Parts: sequence; structure tokens; C-alpha cells
Amino acid sequence: MLSMLQNPRQAAAQVLNFALILSSAFMMWKGLSVISDSPSPIVVVLSGSMEPAFQRGDLLFLWNRNLLQDTSVGEVVVYNVKDKDIPIVHRVVRKYGEGEDAKLLTKGDNNPSDDTELYARGQDYLVRKDIIGSVVGCELPQVVRLSLTYCTNIVLDIPFVGYVTILLSEHPWLKTVMLGVMGLFAILQRE
Amino acid sequence: MHNTLNRFQSVFGFFTTVAFVLGCFIAATDFYAERAPTGTLKVQNLQVVKGRPHYYSSAQEEYAIIKFSLDADLSHLFTWNTKQVFVYVTAEWPAAKGGVNATNEAVIWDSIITNPSADHLKNIGPATMKKLKKSAQGKTVAPDRGILSLRNQRPKYQITHPSKKIADTENVKLKLHYNVQPWFGVLTWNQNQDIGFWKAIKGGVSAPFALPSIKKKN
Repeated sequence: MLSMLQNPRQAAAQVLNFALILSSAFMMWKGLSVISDSPSPIVVVLSGSMEPAFQRGDLLFLWNRNLLQDTSVGEVVVYNVKDKDIPIVHRVVRKYGEGEDAKLLTKGDNNPSDDTELYARGQDYLVRKDIIGSVVGCELPQVVRLSLTYCTNIVLDIPFVGYVTILLSEHPWLKTVMLGVMGLFAILQRE
Repeated sequence: MHNTLNRFQSVFGFFTTVAFVLGCFIAATDFYAERAPTGTLKVQNLQVVKGRPHYYSSAQEEYAIIKFSLDADLSHLFTWNTKQVFVYVTAEWPAAKGGVNATNEAVIWDSIITNPSADHLKNIGPATMKKLKKSAQGKTVAPDRGILSLRNQRPKYQITHPSKKIADTENVKLKLHYNVQPWFGVLTWNQNQDIGFWKAIKGGVSAPFALPSIKKKN
């Protein structure tokens, strides 16, 4: 810490380095977003309603383009309920009609009944634009989660990225704390 | 520069990279495993009722109960990389005459079949779990779980239509589908045509039928 004050040039380099890490992570995220046409190309599973397929904390890769065919029955999609910002990962079980206006009904594999009750008041079905992507890639096992952490280099060696994300979404103030800790690390760490 | 943390980070980073590449190789082995699923679907009993299909239904509507028989051999889908196979039967029918909808598709029955390696993840009671684990006899891959034989099976879901009318619908077909969930790799569904070692389902579609008129529920 003291050495930092003595050497402002190094301090500035470390601040810049930290900014570089943050902005490259942001670019990767937005780049994926453009490729997959999804506002959120990687999501974390928040509930156990798709067990045993997806566990709480699993990371999913989403794809939101209909290149070959419509989003159809049997696909696992991530949708947002009208006026609520909680992404839900469930399977499409009914589809009436075609194209943008098709009425879709979803259900979690592990839930006894369909999602009618989860939808907003007066919303009986989903339409294509409620969906933010279909799950293409794999549930990511632990090892991949780790390497993803390593690749993005944002969270330094915190093993359960998924769980961290759940924690973050449940306690927003943790984001500030985490960013602060990361900043501190970046400044304190030499090289 | 070469402190403990740095060393730990590089070892750890290398480990995860190697693990990821190994995972990709494992996922690639799936493409060399033959898939030749077969299925026979028969409709056993049809009924259309007017009522509330669920306790949360706000109004009365027509719903269809389709009983069916299914013989399927999906044993090829169980490999060492398979976590679970999600099997589902849909009813499909074209738009009603003059209706706005072009196609309709609804799941009437589904089942999660886990590979023994994923049994512990299944959300079932302890007694059922014990029985399930015992059925695998210590094996990690159980292709025999892919052989299904259902007789006069009640549907898990009664089907409805947004127009609240479903009686006398013509040209309805039942269709068998599956979704393979690997431990590592991409999700795959049944294909319409053969792709490499993966064949399309042989059969798996019922003869077209028409739904009957309403039967009053007492």
C-alpha cells in the first residue's frame, strides 16, 4: 500500500489493468449477446424445478435465433414473466399456432403442474418475445464452471460461480462489496 | 511475482483448461455412439369432457383425455455421457377449419429416465430412491431403462385449446419424442432425418384419429 504512494506510475498502471479486466469481461458478455441474439446469453439456474436436468447454480448457454425452425414443444427455454425480471428456465409443453404469435405454455420437469400460475395476471400463455433464449449448451458441470471463471478472470478463483450469482441476485449489496474487494485485489496485487 | 497465490492460480488455471478439453472429447464420443430408437404408439381410449381441467382454471372448458399404449426402445440413448433422457408424447393437430391457429401441439405424457449415474439427483422419496438405485445393480449405464412398455396409459396432462373448444377435432396424431441430456455437451432431441450414426425414430407416430364429441361430466 505504501509502495503505491511512492510509485504513482505503478498505481496508475494497476488501476488501468483493473479497468481492462472489467471492460474485457463486459465485451465478452456483450459479444456473446450479439452472437446469440439474447439479452442474457448465459443464465444461472435459480430453482430446482428442472431437476434432475438442471440443478440450482448450473450455468446454461442460451440461443435466441430461430434459424431453422420455430421455438417448439420440448425445447427448454428461459423466459421473463411480464413486468417481472426473474428469468425462469422451463420446458415448452404446449404450442398453439405458428410464428411470433404462437401461444406457448411452459412447465418445469420437476413441477407437478404447468406454469399458468407463475404467469402474470391475465396472461394465460407466453409468446415468442417473452422468451430470452433456448438452452443449447449443456448444463455445465463443476469443472467447466471453474474454467469459465478462469477464462473470464473476473472472479478470482471462486469455485461456485453459479452460487455466487444466486447470492448476488438475492442480496444486491454484495455486488458493491465484491467489486470493492476485486478493486482492492487488483491494486494490491503486484504485476 | 512467483508467490504462492500466483503458483496456485497457474496450476488451477491449467487444470481447468485440461478438464475442459477432456470434457469436449467426451462430448464428441456421443457422435460415434449409434442411436436407432424405435417406437409404436396406439390410441386406446378417447374422451372429451367439459369442466375445469385444473383447480386453478378460471372457467369451464373442453378438455381431452387420451389413453394410449407405447412400446419404445430408446436403449441406445443411454451411454456413459448420458445424464438423463426426457421422453415425451405429444398430440398434434392442424388448425381448426377457419381457425387462426396453424398448428397445435401439446404434451400429454412425459417421463424423466435417469442413467444410474444421475439417480441421486432425482427428486423422489427415500424408499423410491432405494428401489431405483437397486434396479441398476451397481451399473453406471443402464440401457434397459430405455425400453418402455406402457399399456392403456392414462395421460399425465389433459389437453385443452385456447379457444376452449377441442371436441370433434380431426386429424390428431400422437408422436413420440425424446431429449437427451448429457453430463457434458449439448442437448439433443429426436431428429426427423438420419444424421451420421444417429437415426430418426422408426415409427413413433400413431395413426391419425378424431376426438369424440363432449361427454357430460357428472
